[in-house]
Amino acid sequence: MSQPRQLVQPLLQQFQELFVISKLVGVLPQDLEQLRQKHALEKSRNGMFYMLGVLVFYVLLYNLLIFWFGAEDTSLKASQSTLTFVIGLFLTYIGLIMMVTDQLTGLLNQGQLGELYERIRQVDERLYLEQCLVDNSSISKRIRVMIALTFIFEISILVSTYIKLVDYTQVLSLLWILTAIPTFINTMDKIWFAASLYALKERFEAINATLEDLVAEHERYRDWLYKAENKFSDETEPPQYDSNLEYLYKELSGMDRASAGKNKVAPIAHSLNSFGESVQEPRKLQRANTNRMINLAPESELSNAAKVEVKLNNLCQVHDEVCEIGKAMNGLWSYPILALMAYGFLIFTAQLYFLYCATQGQIIPSLFRTAKNPVITAIFLMYTSGKCIYLIYLSWKTSLTSKRTGISLHKCGVVADDNAVYEIVNHLSLKLLNHAMDFSACGFFTLDMETLYGVSGGITSYLIILIQFNLAAQQAKEAIQSFSSFNETAGLVGAATEIDNVSSTLYSLVTTMMTPISLT
Amino acid sequence: MQAIGLIPLNRQLAESSVIMDYALMLIMPILYLICYLGINLSQTFGLPFLDACNSVCRLSNNLFMHLGAFLYVTIIVLSLYRRKNFFVEFETRLKEIDAVIKKCSKIAELEKIRVQAVKHSVSYHFTWIFVCCTFTFALYYDTKELYITFGEYAFIPFMVSSFPYLAGSIIQGEFIYHVSVISNRFEQINKLFEKINQEARLRNAPLTVFDIESEGKKQQKKGTATTKETLANEEKLANEMKRQKSKPAQNEDDENEFNSSEEEEDDIFDYNDGLMSENPNNTSEANLPDLFQLHDKILSLSVITNAEFGPQCVPYMAACFVVSIFGIFLETKVNFIVSGKSRLLDYVTYLYVIWSFTTMVVAYIVLRLCCNANNHSKKSAMIVHEIMQKKPAFMLSNDLFYNKMKSFTLQFLHWEGYFQFNGIGLFALDYTFIFSTVSAATSYLIVLLQFDMTSILRSEGLMTDIKLNSEASMNP
Repeated sequence: MSQPRQLVQPLLQQFQELFVISKLVGVLPQDLEQLRQKHALEKSRNGMFYMLGVLVFYVLLYNLLIFWFGAEDTSLKASQSTLTFVIGLFLTYIGLIMMVTDQLTGLLNQGQLGELYERIRQVDERLYLEQCLVDNSSISKRIRVMIALTFIFEISILVSTYIKLVDYTQVLSLLWILTAIPTFINTMDKIWFAASLYALKERFEAINATLEDLVAEHERYRDWLYKAENKFSDETEPPQYDSNLEYLYKELSGMDRASAGKNKVAPIAHSLNSFGESVQEPRKLQRANTNRMINLAPESELSNAAKVEVKLNNLCQVHDEVCEIGKAMNGLWSYPILALMAYGFLIFTAQLYFLYCATQGQIIPSLFRTAKNPVITAIFLMYTSGKCIYLIYLSWKTSLTSKRTGISLHKCGVVADDNAVYEIVNHLSLKLLNHAMDFSACGFFTLDMETLYGVSGGITSYLIILIQFNLAAQQAKEAIQSFSSFNETAGLVGAATEIDNVSSTLYSLVTTMMTPISLT
Repeated sequence: MQAIGLIPLNRQLAESSVIMDYALMLIMPILYLICYLGINLSQTFGLPFLDACNSVCRLSNNLFMHLGAFLYVTIIVLSLYRRKNFFVEFETRLKEIDAVIKKCSKIAELEKIRVQAVKHSVSYHFTWIFVCCTFTFALYYDTKELYITFGEYAFIPFMVSSFPYLAGSIIQGEFIYHVSVISNRFEQINKLFEKINQEARLRNAPLTVFDIESEGKKQQKKGTATTKETLANEEKLANEMKRQKSKPAQNEDDENEFNSSEEEEDDIFDYNDGLMSENPNNTSEANLPDLFQLHDKILSLSVITNAEFGPQCVPYMAACFVVSIFGIFLETKVNFIVSGKSRLLDYVTYLYVIWSFTTMVVAYIVLRLCCNANNHSKKSAMIVHEIMQKKPAFMLSNDLFYNKMKSFTLQFLHWEGYFQFNGIGLFALDYTFIFSTVSAATSYLIVLLQFDMTSILRSEGLMTDIKLNSEASMNP
């Protein structure tokens, strides 16, 4: 181990599998060996060149794909449904744009990302000194679940579309596989964000839990005092040993009582580096345990104003630092998130609109052929919206958890009911109030559930309007057709769309606006 | 309610057979699912499969049915998820809170004010009568029409038409009940705060400053001592509660249909013992730390309640929204033009209107109560600020009370940022939600009313000679 004095397991240890995949597909350029050895993300020149190469390769291939499948769209142009055509045209490149944003941001931020995780590690160390450990093991489980879900969704969409909707007799139709690449890369990038965000949320929860534990401990202490006033009882007070024996005592008998006791200090035993640091670990553990033992004989920290001031101050500083990390993280991912949200919104609307078009028997752009099948559409929408909603939900939850700290802090004050403690708490509380952490996408909108509500409303209203226009256009077309059977000149307009595109659109616009009157 | 399967049986008992309780919850949903699937798979007993039902009728009926299924299934899943221990926890926490409130009101000698306060206003009873009437009418109309159409099989289509909305409304009723309990506690706390506030005004005389110095210290001691007396007090209070139970309750019975017997006790607060003498030295500011803790406890209780019922609000509000929009749409575009032509069509449109009205009433009550609870909790902070501004005597003695109150108001600021009644964060449950939904509904309606229904109606043979009239109404 290159770093001998690591108190805590670094967070990045949980990210190893994810990093290998991201490195492979070109989401992140950092050095793999450094991560394996030092658990740190380091800049890597080779990785950068590899990623740039991958990026160019993807862009070229994707353009080839668009060129190949765009050839099928001539009938769409001819069929005169301008709205569908224009929407298809606009959204052709949105997936690519999203992917390029992700990759370029990954390239630009390659140094800062490492710093971010280093800061998280430092926070962990400080939390450890305050006797609250954060359990990182659930993060790797989450990452695995998310990766598995990504693969399931991508593969099911890809395979079902390929079998059902793509003409696989031609060799070049294999290009269709490329459509999965932008979404896949994007998802990998967002899993990084989601997992890190979840880690931050856990930090906040750990801080809150520590504060709540202080309160509970003090209440126990008060009860004990109350009882002690009535009658002296031996049961509540454990026998006093010297500090070495206390550890033994705890090992032998007090395990249950100790775990029910003060902080839920999870033993660090599951960490891998305990093998390398076997000399270091037990001393630390013992220190934590002796504290617990002392606390077991109810001596609340909250009754000691000086001690509590240090503790609360430290916790607030850690909270501040976590907030800062959150802001930094939000800054790093702001453009990718904005791109993702824009993508989610547009694609969701377009997919539903194309689904409607397909059910009406109209031609839809070939890149959106998934919309021809309702089941595939449902899976696709679930995948896209799941990505967006999960990020939004997580940001919202994290921000709420950070706000919760203030409440827990005040509980400490109220339960201690001491003037000095009140003063500390009030001071820190004001500080916390100013540390509101809100995640936003480039500052355009905050990432919370209210935005989701607004967006869902937006999608519905756009969808209704789009369908309305589509209906009107269909009716106009029918009107033209019936009209052309009477009038030869009108027939000319209908047939010569390619020459006279402008006039025909104008004509359909006029008829569109007139339909409500003309058809009744 | 337990029979309809929305709440686990024996919800107040912590230990009882789990299987029995939850099995009962499953009866109704299974029955519903059988009816729903039966109608959709066998294509009988459903309105859409009758010959008399035209395309508009079929479409709207299908929408109503599937929307109801969505509502019911989400609600049932969420209530299965919501375990019994919520109810147990709610009750235990409530009892704790009530015990402290009683203790505080004893110290504050609030019993005389209390006597008048229990009475509910006329609007409260009126609301209940109104809601009951709406529901009875809705159910009566639906069953009557279905009975005419299907005879003795009317139960099956009824299960898919009205029942989901009824179940959803009942869940909301439960939410309403819990929120009203919370709101009630906030009111009580506010009264206690107000009492301190009034006393502060009375005792502001500068002459008594010297006395107060010692008194303040006394009270401070008392403040810490009271917390230790909690256990002893609780026993006393329990006895008192029993005594009160035996007394004939002369208060207005404000119970709604959801209230349990426990709730009745909670609302009776008049200590008519007359044993407590008017002691001018007995001060209520000793309550302050307890009150602050109480406020905090009630707020965390509302967090739990909101976590339980908030998610169920979302499908309900969505269903209410959709039904209302389509209700207006069908009423103006179909029923207004061709009413009386087809009985089934009329039935479906009226069903929409009736249920949109009913769900809107329930949604409104939910919003109003949540808003009330929020306002009450805000008011406490305001009162505390008022007390602080008056600089009453007990604050002169030391900084402790000042810091305490400051801490409380600061904590409330944190709470404000952290919690509000909401539906999983999507929207806040207060009047702003009404505004946003109304504006959204307006824009949807404007778009929806552009749909050209006349050709459809004409092809169904519903409209022949009134073409000119309809044209006039289409193009304002």
